[in-house]
Amino acid sequence: MFGEIFGAWVAAFLTLAIFSFLYKDNPFYKIAEHIFVGVSAGYWTSMFFWTQIQPNLFGRLWPSTHYSDGIWYGVYDLFGIFSSSIFPEGGIDKGHEMHLMYLIPFALGIMMLLSLFKKLSWFARWGIAYTVGMAAGLRAYGYLNSNVIGQIKGTIIPLSDPDLPFFSLLEASHFNNLVILVGTVTGLLYFFFSKEHTGNFGKVTRVGIYFLMISFGASFGFAVMGRISLLIGRFVDLIAYSGAQYHHASIWVLVIMVALLGYSAFTDKGDPNTDVS
Amino acid sequence: MLWKRQIPILIVAVIGTLTLFGWFVNEPTIKDFVDDDATQWFDILASFAIFLGGFNLLKMQLQKVIRKQQGWQYSIFAIVGFFFAIIAGFFYKGNPDVAWGTHVTADGTLFKWIFTYMFAPLQATMFALLAFFVASASYRAFRIRNFEATLLLVAGIIIMIGRVPLGSNISSWFIMYLLVLIGGITINSVFKNKQYTAIFVSVGIIAITATGSSLGWPLDQPGIFYLPYLQEWIYKYPNVAGARAIMMGIGMGIFATSIRYILGIEKSYIGE
Amino acid sequence: MKFLTDLILKMGTVDRRWIFLVIALVVIVPLFYPLGLPIRATATTQHVYDTIDALPHGSKVLVSCEYGPSTKPEIHPMVLSVMRHLFKNEHKVYVTCLWPDGQFLASDALDLVGRDEYGLTYGEDYVLLGFRPGNEAVVKGIVSNLRKLYTIDAKGTKITEIPMMEGVNRFEDFDFLFSASAGYPGTIEWVQYAADPTNVPMSTGTTSIQVNEVMPYVSAGQVQGILAGMPGAAEYEALIGVPGIGTSGMDAQSVAHLVIVLFIVLGNIGYFIERHRSKKY
Repeated sequence: MFGEIFGAWVAAFLTLAIFSFLYKDNPFYKIAEHIFVGVSAGYWTSMFFWTQIQPNLFGRLWPSTHYSDGIWYGVYDLFGIFSSSIFPEGGIDKGHEMHLMYLIPFALGIMMLLSLFKKLSWFARWGIAYTVGMAAGLRAYGYLNSNVIGQIKGTIIPLSDPDLPFFSLLEASHFNNLVILVGTVTGLLYFFFSKEHTGNFGKVTRVGIYFLMISFGASFGFAVMGRISLLIGRFVDLIAYSGAQYHHASIWVLVIMVALLGYSAFTDKGDPNTDVS
Repeated sequence: MLWKRQIPILIVAVIGTLTLFGWFVNEPTIKDFVDDDATQWFDILASFAIFLGGFNLLKMQLQKVIRKQQGWQYSIFAIVGFFFAIIAGFFYKGNPDVAWGTHVTADGTLFKWIFTYMFAPLQATMFALLAFFVASASYRAFRIRNFEATLLLVAGIIIMIGRVPLGSNISSWFIMYLLVLIGGITINSVFKNKQYTAIFVSVGIIAITATGSSLGWPLDQPGIFYLPYLQEWIYKYPNVAGARAIMMGIGMGIFATSIRYILGIEKSYIGE
Repeated sequence: MKFLTDLILKMGTVDRRWIFLVIALVVIVPLFYPLGLPIRATATTQHVYDTIDALPHGSKVLVSCEYGPSTKPEIHPMVLSVMRHLFKNEHKVYVTCLWPDGQFLASDALDLVGRDEYGLTYGEDYVLLGFRPGNEAVVKGIVSNLRKLYTIDAKGTKITEIPMMEGVNRFEDFDFLFSASAGYPGTIEWVQYAADPTNVPMSTGTTSIQVNEVMPYVSAGQVQGILAGMPGAAEYEALIGVPGIGTSGMDAQSVAHLVIVLFIVLGNIGYFIERHRSKKY
């Protein structure tokens, strides 16, 4: 219970410290920002290690199913002296078989870490090259199939189906199908820069721009919607932390912060040389 | 030079080709490697990249403290925060009933406490700040300078109002009155004739009032002026057309760029 | 008239911190004094609901959570509502995460809905397979051989010891996918590497910002409907009849949108007045 109450105070402080940036850049914001940076790095490091490296890499190099008294597991036992949590006794039991081929990504990974030293900075290139190659191969197929061919299929829609009405605001209709076809084609033509956008071609690309502008306007509307939703989420949490069970954490932190920032603004007013940061 | 340049380019070419043709090849060994092991290696290297980022950050913050550069006092908070998370991740569970490994996702651990009361609020609030800046930018910078900007603005406003419950409660007749008013302002600025403006506005108001009264002022008819229906139409048809054109363009661009990487034409990942 | 135009011009130069204060107030006040505006489901939300409702009894449904604390207000209510719908219709729910922080949030959702509300059993009615790093490589791994990628679940239990994992070896063994996505990796990766190649039907819920990126897939039939941001979550809550955070936030959302539109209109009125005056002089 103490953990929850203390946590609420910490969360309220960190939230309001970030929001204090709206007034101006100040020490509260800088402290919260640096804590965020440090905690994030530590959080991701721990999370990725325990969900990927320990079970899937070490779990394949030293699985418990192949535990023996040989040299290989002798190395494992040596590591286990330093950390019995990462290297538990008897090998790592995560349901894998031994695959010594995984020494390759292990070596590439160590090379990546060694690139921290300036002279060895090129070491990271091999690991990066592997991820770039893999991503390029995956995305070439994925984007061509779903973003180009799939979308072309979606644009091939009936324009002369007798069952469809000519105009309907919400259901399929000739007019709506025509809008999609014309909008997609003219929008695509706008991105064709090998020909100058003049004359009749220019008129067609102008129509394309109009469709793109409507799309950007819709994106803007959704962007505003998304940001306001996030703000609502924060205020809901702050309101929750202002409750009696958390000893009115949000209210106390807000009052103290406003008082300190107000005092700082009052004293800074008379001293033009004060370093605001 | 071989180690620093040729070998990385060779790795990209081999792995990229294997992964790309892995979609089309049924040979079991290759398919097994591409679908399973290659994927696992990718995951492992992605994890090491995260570690590299974390340690790099720590190195930079420590250098800032040691050299007493500007703002070094704040770097202490970053370093303390990093080690606090590392202690929770590797040295102190907080819940003795949970095994190492699952402690990063289980309840009652220090790691979960850090997630709930530090990481989550910080990340969420950083993003929530943008709501204020978007409102301020909309007020100060969003101007109707030409027809395209007008289209963008009108589409944005219709989506913003039509998509929320408030939009469902605005009668289509209210929108019609608003359009008559805007039409009147436009006619006044184009023709600069008060008579034309007065006639247009009066006729518009009378026509709408007469039609509305006779129909009993239905909230959502005529449908084309009812914001939720209008935003739905914009969302599903012209918006999709524009978004699809952009998506196809990006899709072709990504395909071309991926092929450039595999063929070794693009070498930005080694700094060239 | 001159007084009004001068006032509008003066407001155009106001310190932006006053705008921040107004936005903060219009969001906070409706949270304390809700307006109770009725919520009407849009066609794309209805499509998601109808698709899930039409699933045969006992279907194996993969729910993938790719969101974090920064996008929790938009996506978490959707996940809770969809899980309520799936559990009510007695489907088996398998949860994966392409984002690491999605695992915590998915775990919270499953505990709240599956364990506490419906009294279901972990491992028999629902399972949290957990997070694996690798982005689209993880999606590919699930499609080709799920058991090689997931040898243990999020609690450390071996997959072979979980009763509901029997017969589930790859993506095609699932009957439906719901992706709750806040960005990359997410819905688009599931469409490109899983749903499109295998024809397993999928729906999605995304943040408002990502909606326009995903709409072409919805329009092309590659994705069956979409829950768009917090309004989409509120609409789904209304459809299943269980209001939650999505619903309670909608009044604040409505008022905030109206205020921002008024800001834009006011800003443009000021712009036109200034332009008219500079032409005059």
